[in-house]
Amino acid sequence: MATRQKTSAPAAGGTAAQPQGVRDAVIVGGNRIPFSRAGKRYADASNQEMFTAALEGLVARFGLQGERLGEVVGGAVLKHSRDFNLIRESVLGSSLSPATPAFDLQQACATGLEATINIANKIRLGQIESGVAGGSDTVSDAPIAVSEGLRRALLEAQHAKTWQARAKALAAIRPGDLKPLVPATDEPRTGLSMGEHQAVTTARWGIAREAQDEVALASHQHLAAAWESGFFDDLVTPFRGVTRDDNLRADTSLEKLASLKPVFGRSLETTPTMTAGNSTPLTDGASTVLLGSREWAESHDLPVLARFVDAETAAVDFVHGHEGLLMAPVHAVPRLLARTGLTLDDIDFFEIHEAFASTVLTTLAAWEDPDYCRDELGLDGAFGTVDRAKINVNGSSLAAGHPFAATGGRIVATAAKLVAQRAAETGRPARALISVCAAGGLGATAVVESV
Amino acid sequence: MTAEPLRTSDGTALRVETQPSLPGLGGLYARGAAASGRIAAGRALPALPVIGAGRSASDTEHDGGPLTLPDVAYRVAGVTTTGLARHLHEYQRLLHEPVADVLPAGYLHVLAFPLATAVMVRGDFPLPLLGMVHLRNAVELRGPVRMGDVLEVRAWAENLRPHRRGVQVDLVAEIRRDGAGPEERAVWRGVSTYLAKGFSLPDAPAVDDESRPEWHLPLPTGRWALGPGTGRAYGAVSGDRNPIHLSALSAKAFGFPRAIAHGMYTAARALADVGHQRGDAYRWTVEFGKPVLLPGTVDLAVTQEEDGFAYVGWNGRRRQKHFSGTVTPL
Repeated sequence: MATRQKTSAPAAGGTAAQPQGVRDAVIVGGNRIPFSRAGKRYADASNQEMFTAALEGLVARFGLQGERLGEVVGGAVLKHSRDFNLIRESVLGSSLSPATPAFDLQQACATGLEATINIANKIRLGQIESGVAGGSDTVSDAPIAVSEGLRRALLEAQHAKTWQARAKALAAIRPGDLKPLVPATDEPRTGLSMGEHQAVTTARWGIAREAQDEVALASHQHLAAAWESGFFDDLVTPFRGVTRDDNLRADTSLEKLASLKPVFGRSLETTPTMTAGNSTPLTDGASTVLLGSREWAESHDLPVLARFVDAETAAVDFVHGHEGLLMAPVHAVPRLLARTGLTLDDIDFFEIHEAFASTVLTTLAAWEDPDYCRDELGLDGAFGTVDRAKINVNGSSLAAGHPFAATGGRIVATAAKLVAQRAAETGRPARALISVCAAGGLGATAVVESV
Repeated sequence: MTAEPLRTSDGTALRVETQPSLPGLGGLYARGAAASGRIAAGRALPALPVIGAGRSASDTEHDGGPLTLPDVAYRVAGVTTTGLARHLHEYQRLLHEPVADVLPAGYLHVLAFPLATAVMVRGDFPLPLLGMVHLRNAVELRGPVRMGDVLEVRAWAENLRPHRRGVQVDLVAEIRRDGAGPEERAVWRGVSTYLAKGFSLPDAPAVDDESRPEWHLPLPTGRWALGPGTGRAYGAVSGDRNPIHLSALSAKAFGFPRAIAHGMYTAARALADVGHQRGDAYRWTVEFGKPVLLPGTVDLAVTQEEDGFAYVGWNGRRRQKHFSGTVTPL
């Protein structure tokens, strides 16, 4: 394996040699398992099994058996404490060299993209030559915790020095304490679920039900077309007999979507608009992306889809409703484009994670609102209008599903392949903007560009 | 032992009677958190074991006669907070306050209010404790009170006045740092306003029905899913084991369909929701509306205003307001 790090012992009295400066990190390809609705085909698959499957598929696709990669980074949002080294354990269970380092990282739904940013940065800094970023999540096999009362009693009993003290601690357990705690997607600080938060944002921006259903329909149609055209043939490896994202409803229609009852925002004064059809379903799945330096890709005779240009994360003050929970990418993107010297017009593909159809629509509405852009984003006026034909052209989370930490890897691989295809068709560089909102008022965004 | 005279907000002089300890607090020290429930005997109980003979709702000798408040303030000095860590942290976890060694304003209410309860169960207190309705509460915290601080607590009743449904009275509790000079302001002051339904004051002007403007539901910033044990949990930490909070059965006996959440629990959770932006010194008010039935869901909106925060809690399905108030940094 090529080594580019030219570090040497510092000369007496001198400074240590730096790794070589910022260079390109490129996306070689990706591999994921089909995403599957919670409680169905992957019901008994663990995060580690799913991530290992996605990773092993990537290894097979690019012939990385026995290879020592620079780093494998990823995570899971719903994670059992026994999985403290989820990614490293997955590496050990794969045919990569056991000398491949790995670590777990977690930034809610932005986990996969944040892992990609991390790998890309290490490559750009010259710290590693290659790496894999990804994530895995299962709602079906989610860890279940004991109640706070039972947990405290058990801990106290464990710490007790005498049997009397142990008995006393255990006697404090009440029948109600035996009820297990199932992980919830409620924001810990507000108690509102993500859907309820987005229902508030949707109401604030006055996003109509029909517009949301149209986004959902387009997502299903685009994803179905992408599967039909074979776009995912080199991005997905079947798992447990599943060969396609099984949330995909190729035959859905506006009429069917319109018939669904609202599930979020039902206690607001405004008419509720968010349904199971225009919100992402709970999903199981895992994804991976392979990145490297150009030299590493070349020396391994690997293709290069795109360059990982730059990334920006943001967070918003949502706790008292100043900003919507899922609006952080709205803040990150103008900063990212300003730094990269790009405008919205320079972007060929917008990959806006569809946590909800209305997340896409409130994002677009915010960028078109001059007052908002001045007051909240510090811009001179409206950030701009995004051509709807450029958004999620191969479908997104509404159709594919959204296994939280796995979504970033799905999007990065899709975006990289899209810009590569476009550049091959037109002979001109193509760019994709990636935007992922996350719990906690977080957001991660990135730009990839054809090479 | 009597201390220097004390005056109510309308200038009435009060005799100060020094009590040996806060009601039930001695037991708290001895038995730790398990005994914390006895920090107060609870406002539904007819008598406090520590403070002489009380009176119950069935004492009706004041009916028909003029109502006068006892001209006495209770005082307890040398209240040490050193041993309260476990109880304090239990309170903080329950109310979603950060776990720290600073006593939140709601915790100081829990600490001080039993002394006011002791005033309410005196033989010469004119209103029955049972069935009194907590209308509103206003607290001023003028600086941080930390675990380890030695405190003096005073409590009295004042400002008996008409209400459209009866008479209302303010129970005032004050916390001073022990040894503070007479000129020094209380570091914490709480005014709890209660309504005794069906009582009236002679010569009282008729009170107009408050006109209620139409209320539009705000967009929520939070939601509380309150389990059936919410009242029992706060009852255990606060010592307020009024049966209306404990179980559906005991609440039914008092005319509620189910157990109801403590008003101060809801107000203290709203205070906690405001977070660190409230600072070390703040004014915290609450006005109670429809009771929160347990188990139940409360929608909450905390909004930043010019000089602080406003909050309101409501039932989104029934469109009923449960409480509203403010938290204003001082």
